[in-house]
Amino acid sequence: MPVFLRTRDTQMLATACMLPFLIVTQAIAAAPESTFPSRIDALIEARLKDFSTHASPICTDAAFLRRVTLDLTASIPTAAKTRAFLKDTAPSQEKRSRVVTELLASPQHATRMQYLLDWLLMERRSSENVASAQWQKYLRASAVANKPWDELTREILADDGGDAKTRARARFYLDREFDLTVVTRDVSRIFLGVDLECAQCHDHPAVTAYKQQHYHGIKAFLDRSFLFTDSKSKRKSLGEKAEGDVTFTSAFDETKGKTAPRILELPELVDPKDTLKQYITKPAKNVRSVPRYSRRRQLGEAMTVAENQDFRLNIANRLWAVMMGRGLVEPLDLRHAANPPSHPELLSLLGDALHQHKYDMRWFLGQLAHTRAYQRSSVTRPDSATVANRHYAVGLLKPLGPEQYAWATMEATGFLEKVRIDARASLAAAAKKAAAKKGSKKKAPKAKTAATPPNPPTLADIEAAVRKTVAPHVKTFVTQFAAQGGQKTTFSATAPQALFLTNGALLREWLKPAGANLLARVSKLDDSQAVAEELYIRILNRLPTESEQKEVAIYMELPGKRVDVLGELAWALLLSAEFRFNH
Amino acid sequence: MRRDHGCRRADHEFSRRGFLATGAAAGVAGLASPAVSKQLRKGQKRVLQIYLQGGVSQLESWDPKPGTRYGGPFRAIPTSVPGMHICELLPHTAQRMHLLSIVRGINLKTNSHHDGRLFMEMGRRSGSFPYVGSIAAKHLTPANAPLPGYLHITTRGLTDNTNAFLDARHAQLKLAGPKVPDNLIRPDALTVQAARRSGELLKRLNRRFSGRGGQKAFTDSYNASFEMAEKLMARRDLFEGKPDPKDLQRYGSHPFGRNCLLARTLLENGATVVKVTHHGYDTHAENFNFHLEQLGEFDNTFCMLLDDLHQSGLLENTLVMVMSEFGRTPKINVRYGRDHWGTAWSIAVGGHGLVPGAIVGATNKEGTEVSEREVDGGHLFHTYLQALGLDSTANHDLGGRTVPIGDPTRSPIKELLA
Repeated sequence: MPVFLRTRDTQMLATACMLPFLIVTQAIAAAPESTFPSRIDALIEARLKDFSTHASPICTDAAFLRRVTLDLTASIPTAAKTRAFLKDTAPSQEKRSRVVTELLASPQHATRMQYLLDWLLMERRSSENVASAQWQKYLRASAVANKPWDELTREILADDGGDAKTRARARFYLDREFDLTVVTRDVSRIFLGVDLECAQCHDHPAVTAYKQQHYHGIKAFLDRSFLFTDSKSKRKSLGEKAEGDVTFTSAFDETKGKTAPRILELPELVDPKDTLKQYITKPAKNVRSVPRYSRRRQLGEAMTVAENQDFRLNIANRLWAVMMGRGLVEPLDLRHAANPPSHPELLSLLGDALHQHKYDMRWFLGQLAHTRAYQRSSVTRPDSATVANRHYAVGLLKPLGPEQYAWATMEATGFLEKVRIDARASLAAAAKKAAAKKGSKKKAPKAKTAATPPNPPTLADIEAAVRKTVAPHVKTFVTQFAAQGGQKTTFSATAPQALFLTNGALLREWLKPAGANLLARVSKLDDSQAVAEELYIRILNRLPTESEQKEVAIYMELPGKRVDVLGELAWALLLSAEFRFNH
Repeated sequence: MRRDHGCRRADHEFSRRGFLATGAAAGVAGLASPAVSKQLRKGQKRVLQIYLQGGVSQLESWDPKPGTRYGGPFRAIPTSVPGMHICELLPHTAQRMHLLSIVRGINLKTNSHHDGRLFMEMGRRSGSFPYVGSIAAKHLTPANAPLPGYLHITTRGLTDNTNAFLDARHAQLKLAGPKVPDNLIRPDALTVQAARRSGELLKRLNRRFSGRGGQKAFTDSYNASFEMAEKLMARRDLFEGKPDPKDLQRYGSHPFGRNCLLARTLLENGATVVKVTHHGYDTHAENFNFHLEQLGEFDNTFCMLLDDLHQSGLLENTLVMVMSEFGRTPKINVRYGRDHWGTAWSIAVGGHGLVPGAIVGATNKEGTEVSEREVDGGHLFHTYLQALGLDSTANHDLGGRTVPIGDPTRSPIKELLA
């Protein structure tokens, strides 16, 4: 197995010396052959001839910390964390590994997963029939528990929304108004990574792998179900009939077909004997019928059986895209024979590993973070071709998702620090009050109550309080920056977004000096070098280069009130592409 | 009505022409008098889309059936095109029908606002595809255009994914009428000098970042969003100026009148696609009273706009569509309303690339079904693009994947293409 950046290569690169970027001379210690990350890298590096001539070196510690913090916790690292990480003299891979473990165990990781799952499953649809708060609570609990993807899938695809306790799970169906076309298409796109839209009316003309029977096979799980509106409460849920089969006719050649529920090429699911027209609750006016045998309830099970390779390949590809900025299959929902993965063996490896690890997404993301592919610099080698992008020979730019963008902006401007301090204070105050009350109820001696210190708020408590406070700001960013539609790795920016960033009151407000925020801090610093360092550490999570320090110094000489000039500098760095992307 | 249907690829031809045009404009720009550059701009093709939101009744507009079972109380009146009659609620438009054509045989096979609207915009029954305005903006907006390509004046904020997989530069930009868009104005605390120099610093930082590699499409799009924002900020006057009282009197001082005045200003100042939405046609009750009121407003205002575009010569280069998401049921319900009806209804089109004064398609005697030349959103979509000289049968090239621009199972309404 080729070890990345053997000393010889490193020297060669260094002597070539036309590279404006930092070369990390310290090669990654060769991981044992058997580790999962090293097997991933072996497949990546073997796929392209002359891979090493295209490959960018491993990124700097600073770049890694920012990248992995955004990917795993939806925000940038704090200034303190950045400084500590840069100062840490432990071997680079050791401290990187440590930070991955820390981030995955943090409550902020659950927040990140909550956002990702919401995007993945609901694709920025508005909340219609299931309250957003209820849905978020369900996602949160699932993310905190690191619920396996197959389990989550089964829960979501089985629920009919009838039971108030589990109703949130049915949002996938209910907020698509259970439109059969939409639901069938989205189930195959989101859980299988295939878009059967055209196969609805005919075998796909261009994509021979997509057959009309595939679409109708998925549809057959759902087609007996219907949206039921309770006549009194007006609440919507799903009812289901105990009869009805799916037949279809090609729009091209009038050939007719019929199918029972089935997942793509897997065998049809035969209804159990004597279930036809058998009901737990019989259909009647204003009654939500429930059959003895529900075809819809089989969907999640059928989807997640070991034989269904498509299920594991889909989620492997989607999570890979989250970390790497590009799916092995692109677009993420268009996997078929004529649009194969760029690295077929790798995708199989990833899918199988996820399956073997019981769809543990937290484990999977952590493993990806350990690969060289993940840790490569995003600075393209001047002599490298664009082929490097497709081959993960260079770190790809990932636009910050709207939620990441909100959190990162609040962190960089120091607004978040204030929210954290306030949250800690008010939680401590509340705990003290509660303890005092408890003490007085027990009528314990006064002295004893005072002696028992209240439990300090946990990290999760603080995180929850902070999340609640900043929720409106996160929502503002979602409104401004989220495009309708599902997970994708493309990016485009609009004029209203640029206007929001340039003239919007929110950013300008956060850039006013207050408390111990960014502007208040830099205003107190005397020399330009300290100012440059503070701005770069807090906004871009790295130290400025010499020329960047000079640039800051020159800017600070410009006429105007010092605080205004500093505000302009901070604003420009905050709006810079370097901040806008995870790189 | 002869049209060359040879297999010259219009998109190729177009980009060549576009290249020449921009090259020429760039070459002349330094020397050109305003009149010359105006002349150049006039050659630019444009789109004016009037969207009658909620579903205008075809029976009270383009396809009246007076004296029949479902005809309703209004008469049909003759128009400036011999033999063509439209509803008496459109007296001014009737006098200008020689500039427009009617498509009477539309059947969308859907009665849903959402689906009908998307079908009419995307030319596809479902899925996520760019709106016709987004495609037109992409292909027709010159690189040095003074305004973003696709502007939509509407008083309501539905969030549409208008550009689908196209770059966000071609997405629809919403304007809430003749008022300054959100965040257009520089904060008071920021001096001109500060805005300029920090803007320059930002550009420098971004140039440096682009220089280190990374996906060019990403950094380009990010940088372009600021350029478009600057363009809008530079033309703040378009949104601020008080309209000429004479114009206001002609167009009407109601929101639709003011919005159409803004549409004229935008088209005159280099916008490529302008859409104006006239809200309130969803007349499930009191269909006749509402149409009397709504179309009264539409008829006069639209005609003033049409006259102005005609007189300034802009109409020659501007494709005009007056459309809805569907029509209304022939059957009149118990509340004197008409309900959703995608089955047999009409729109009016005109301007660049289209035959004027024509009627294409027909409905039966009582308007309950299409009797001749049935078309849907897919056919119309091809027709719009081909009228603009764009090859709707070509593909969007998405880098490794191609998507047909128009639905390959549909074709343009050839008899309507000039």
